[in-house]
Amino acid sequence: MHTFHRGLLAGVLASLMLAMFDFVTDGAPGNGFPAVLRWFGITIADSTISRLSGFLLLIVLGGVFGLIFGVIQRGKPITTGRALLTGLALGVLWWLIFELVLANITNHASSLFSLNFASFLSSFPLAALFGVLLGAIFIQWQEHHEPRQPS
Amino acid sequence: MHISSSAREPKGVAASASEQRTVASPITLSERSSTGLALLRILVGYLWFQQLFWKLPPTFAGLYEYVVRESQHAILPGYGALLQHTFLAGCPSLSSPVGCTAFVPLAACVWTAELLVAISLLFGLFTRFGALLATVLAVQLYVGLAYTEWIWTYGMLVLLALVFVAVPAGRRLGVDLWLAPRLQAAGQRHRLARIVSWFV
Repeated sequence: MHTFHRGLLAGVLASLMLAMFDFVTDGAPGNGFPAVLRWFGITIADSTISRLSGFLLLIVLGGVFGLIFGVIQRGKPITTGRALLTGLALGVLWWLIFELVLANITNHASSLFSLNFASFLSSFPLAALFGVLLGAIFIQWQEHHEPRQPS
Repeated sequence: MHISSSAREPKGVAASASEQRTVASPITLSERSSTGLALLRILVGYLWFQQLFWKLPPTFAGLYEYVVRESQHAILPGYGALLQHTFLAGCPSLSSPVGCTAFVPLAACVWTAELLVAISLLFGLFTRFGALLATVLAVQLYVGLAYTEWIWTYGMLVLLALVFVAVPAGRRLGVDLWLAPRLQAAGQRHRLARIVSWFV
């Protein structure tokens, strides 16, 4: 499997894990999906459509980040350490773009980097987890499909 | 199958039984089972992660009510008194932690331990250490709160944590995938690395 495709699928699966968290949360399942739409200033009145659209957008964004991951690898096999680090870096980038800058813009916050402890704690570990999962899924597929690389 | 020489000698019922005994074949988890366990590990990590938010620093006020309940309903003799002389020392009221001398620093330790469990299980980072810590915290909850809620609530939390002490679930979809071979290689030369490798 080409690294682009593998990256795309790894990104989709990693974002599915984030989506799954929304189904084991307090309150109604899927309550977190409209927040994904709000990153882009989109608000949909119908809650069912809003949740479904948010879910789909999350998966698309995961796929895009997975593609970026695949492009960075330039079609070559990589080590486990590099995959996890690259994934983590993309997870941090995800957090910076969506959870910090875009969320602050759409919330009309005083600064692009305005942040409190609870917001950081609720968003940063999960964004980092997305990145680590992206790298881990990618490397597990690579080991399954190609000769083992030194880790 | 391997049978020892002593088992071959007929010695009544015991000997017959040992003749029939077979050696269990080693169990190897398939890739799918390992990945499935890794997914469970992440969800259990998320369970711990979510519980950080109702007792946030700097006051950890959400924890206070539970410590008070534990001190009143502990199933282990003396545990309630221990809580009253540590977490609840000097507390003027059972409804608010204001005025307590030791509550905030001790609650900070509990909160940090839960944060470590969450990070460890979510990221598969020193997973068995995180699971061991989760077991200790869950046993503590069981001792204090088991009879205030459905009896299995905290019992299941203990059992869940023990699963991840037993199985190295961080070696798939986790950082232990990278750590484990390194620590095992270093463990051939260094005792400390061998000890640390038990926790991945």
